[in-house]
Amino acid sequence: MRHSALACICISLAAGTVRAGDVTPSPSSVAALQLEAGLAKKPDVYLLLDPERRVLEIKARGTVLDTVRLTGIEVVSQQPILGRSLPSHPPIPAIWTVEDSSFDASREVEAPTDLKPAPKNDKDDDEDATPDAGPTATPTPAPEAPTSYRSRLDNGWDLWITDQLPPQSRWQTFLAAVKDGWRRLRGRGQNHIPAITLAMADSDAQRVHHLLRTGMPILVADEM
Amino acid sequence: MNAEAIAGLHDEAAAPRRSRWPLALALFVVALLLVTGGATAVLARLGRPFIASPFNATPSVGVDSDNPVGLGKLAGQAAREIAKVQPKGTYIVVDTYRNQLHLIDNGAVIRTAICSTGTGRVLKDPRNGKEWVFDTPMGERIIQRKVTHPVWAKPDWAFIEDGYLPPKDSSERFDNESLGNYAMYIGDGYIIHGTLFQSLLGRSITHGCVRLGDADLEFVYHHAPLGTRVYLY
Repeated sequence: MRHSALACICISLAAGTVRAGDVTPSPSSVAALQLEAGLAKKPDVYLLLDPERRVLEIKARGTVLDTVRLTGIEVVSQQPILGRSLPSHPPIPAIWTVEDSSFDASREVEAPTDLKPAPKNDKDDDEDATPDAGPTATPTPAPEAPTSYRSRLDNGWDLWITDQLPPQSRWQTFLAAVKDGWRRLRGRGQNHIPAITLAMADSDAQRVHHLLRTGMPILVADEM
Repeated sequence: MNAEAIAGLHDEAAAPRRSRWPLALALFVVALLLVTGGATAVLARLGRPFIASPFNATPSVGVDSDNPVGLGKLAGQAAREIAKVQPKGTYIVVDTYRNQLHLIDNGAVIRTAICSTGTGRVLKDPRNGKEWVFDTPMGERIIQRKVTHPVWAKPDWAFIEDGYLPPKDSSERFDNESLGNYAMYIGDGYIIHGTLFQSLLGRSITHGCVRLGDADLEFVYHHAPLGTRVYLY
């Protein structure tokens, strides 16, 4: 985490639009402020997606804890190459809630089959026993987080976090259409819900995967 | 008919045959191209590739007022509400992905430490199906209690994870070494504490607690008073 981000107390909106009453805030920026005030009342972590600044901020109590830089924000939907009907965009400012996170779906489960009586005066157990049951023990490495994944949102959209947006040149779109057509011909085609797609560096995508849990609110607003 | 005349007749008969092959080949190639192109066109028509369009960042929702004075008041009120709950003075931020803890005092980071946080794994009790999720909790917590030379009362999962039955005698649960020299309790059984295994710091290997190395633990313990807010994400 960058120290500057840590030290930043987010009063940007207040500073930007309400400072000394010199500028009349827009109805939408007031709505965004009110939404954030509602989130900041609770002790939970929330995300602020600012499409204008292309940032995803990790916040709690109105304070920026960390910032993720976005390389793109797009609405991605599956369309035929002829006769497209692009989906209408969700209104902002708004709070979206993650309903089905990729992280929660990928948790490892440990389930011992049977238990035996514990040895008495076992000095080797520590408080976090198994992973490091000895100074030289090597814990089971956690699987590497994905760099491209989808989570369902409560507004009916998907949130697609990726390190690479789908290529959009005519030739590449045509090739993608042929590939998808071949899959569909064999009954293996997939229909995806339109997705708000956030493109970011692969390491950031992995970091956000760790963070994006079921129930996580995302405040979407610019001018903040 | 002499031999030359016979050869001439033979040549005349053979010449048209040779000229048909390139034509047939060309027709075949054209047919192949037509079939391939047609099939490709059909597949392309059948396919649904991903099409991206820029996200519309134009706000379309606002408060139900266009009175500048009223808007200013509402904005000021919301900004004050946010400012009221923001952390001030000393607070702790824990990045559970990077396994780093930051101690902040009046907006300046005064200590950054490597820590260990939860694995995110799930443990199931084979006896009754009860589950424990080894997450470090996210959000704001408060240092509720500080203890030197803490003793840890092992919960059931510490035994089950090792394949043991939890003991009925509670005296077999106590462990006065594992938590290190200091412990800061942040509620619901979660603790910022030390570890016997400092070489594993920086990895997500705990059951939800935040582990620190000895020197960092001592520093944080002495600089974070009771009531210090802890932000975990």
